Amino acid sequence: MKRLLAVLGVAAVVAGAVVLEASATGYIVYLVNLLLVTLVLSLGLHVVIGESGQFSLAHSAFYGIGIYATAIATTAHWPFILALGVGGLAAAVCGLVIGLLALRMRDIYLALSTFAFGEAMQWVFLNWEAVTGGPNGYNIPPTKLFGFAIMSDREAFPLVAVLAVLFLAATLVLHHSGFGRALRAVRESEIAAAAVGVNVKLMKLAAFTLSALLAGAAGGMFTTFSTFIHPDSLGFSTTVLVLTVVVVGGIGSVWGVVGGAVVFGLLNELLRQLPSYQEMIYGAILMGFMMFAPRGMFAALRGAR
Amino acid sequence: MDLEVVWLFVQQGVASGLVSGAVYALLALAIVIVYRTTDVANFAQGEIYMAASYLAFFLIVVFAAPILLAIPLTILIVCGGAAVFQRLVLARVASVRGVSVNLVIATLGLSYFLKGMVRFSGFGDAPRSFPSVVPDGALTIGDASLSYLDIVIFVTSLVVMALFFWMFTFTKTGRAMRAVGMNRRAAALVGISLTRVQMQVWACSGGISAIAALLIAPKLLLTVEMGHVATLAFAAAIVGGFTSLPGAVVGGFIIGIAENLVGLFVSSRAIVVTPFVVIMLVLILKPQGLFGGAVRVRKV
Repeated sequence: MKRLLAVLGVAAVVAGAVVLEASATGYIVYLVNLLLVTLVLSLGLHVVIGESGQFSLAHSAFYGIGIYATAIATTAHWPFILALGVGGLAAAVCGLVIGLLALRMRDIYLALSTFAFGEAMQWVFLNWEAVTGGPNGYNIPPTKLFGFAIMSDREAFPLVAVLAVLFLAATLVLHHSGFGRALRAVRESEIAAAAVGVNVKLMKLAAFTLSALLAGAAGGMFTTFSTFIHPDSLGFSTTVLVLTVVVVGGIGSVWGVVGGAVVFGLLNELLRQLPSYQEMIYGAILMGFMMFAPRGMFAALRGAR
Repeated sequence: MDLEVVWLFVQQGVASGLVSGAVYALLALAIVIVYRTTDVANFAQGEIYMAASYLAFFLIVVFAAPILLAIPLTILIVCGGAAVFQRLVLARVASVRGVSVNLVIATLGLSYFLKGMVRFSGFGDAPRSFPSVVPDGALTIGDASLSYLDIVIFVTSLVVMALFFWMFTFTKTGRAMRAVGMNRRAAALVGISLTRVQMQVWACSGGISAIAALLIAPKLLLTVEMGHVATLAFAAAIVGGFTSLPGAVVGGFIIGIAENLVGLFVSSRAIVVTPFVVIMLVLILKPQGLFGGAVRVRKV
């Protein structure tokens, strides 16, 4: 039954993708691309908060590092796969450094230092004009894949979709692997995890690094269909969007993140013109879920276990 | 750089740093008392302060309320609002699951909600300037020059802090707050009502934020993003150790002075990044802050 459902699900997604590719308007394709990027970015936060239980408020920074690094590599005419790798790795290295800091602190101190890192990176994006273009923004050249330049959202969609599915699959594998269980053991109790032979420090470092890698890769995906990036869109609001996705989806649930990314990716785009409503809705949702359904909307639908 | 200029810059930097540091110290105090007694790192601190500024602006400019009525009214409303938030939202979040991360997310929710409200009210669209009651003019101390407003800000902050420490040391309410901050269980056992004390602490914290807002609003333009000041207060609280009240005050002055010296000696663009560098440095070198005491190991 479960297998049948999975096959049907994959078939539905493929059919949806084909229909989308053939008939949807440019804006809808753009929106779907953006949702997929939001999904991968949220998966990144899921790995660090949901799996290992460490708090991070620096995801817009990792995302931004991924975008700029990939865009710079693309500008230098590197092939896309390499450019994406550069974006992911640059973010992962920063994630490793933050992870090293995180070994020394927890809870509130960790939240604050990652927040500080995010704000500092935004300042770097805004002021390192030689590299990022500063307040003028950065014009991203078209991505080249196997010598073929991707010129539109529609052309980028298959690439973005394949990458998103790959990263989702990787996250699922991680969730169900022994490594994922070790991460969750650290989340529940570091002492108990250490007692059964889990290397707590290594797990925490790995969680931050992988999380940043995913965020950086999301940035790389963004460069395939977007032509411009400005530091303003890499601020705290992006972090709050992703945090909302993970919290509302249900901390620790991969499919919850998928659902959350769809709902909030759409909401974010719909409310873009009405920042006041957007902020009020996000604020009310964050407070409401913490009050009434701290385990997320899907846990609430399934009924409390 | 000339030695004379350096000396002038140092004097001006310290003087201006003491003034802005006093406001950061106030906000840091508000953050620290809340953290000690309710375990909540209030990420909405800056937005409470922002909303208080707009509330005062609204009362004075739209309702044309006299200043002497608007000031206490603002403080009272913000006190009440903070207490209600603690009672309605945070108490519930803490009871569902006592994880500090959930509490942080709830305060992030409040911060977004407040920003949205101010934008929605239509006042947040353009920067506004707050009417000042203090006459223009400046005083020269040594080689540093401070405006009358600066002096008023500094003195009032010191008075508020002194009142606050007096309350904490000598009044029954203040001592109950301290008891809750030290050991919640023991405090409850000797008959202190946790619900009431935690609400009172939030009310206090709201009141301090409102006072800080009223003090500095005339110096700045009101914008929805002005809550950023709270990151400086957080930096101050971290430098001081996050659980220490005197630490918060000292941290506030350190951050204020560091910021002004960086502005004078490096560049005004580097001011923004100073608190983050300070936070990172302190957390790396001394994760418990200057007054935070030794690392407590939690045993199973």
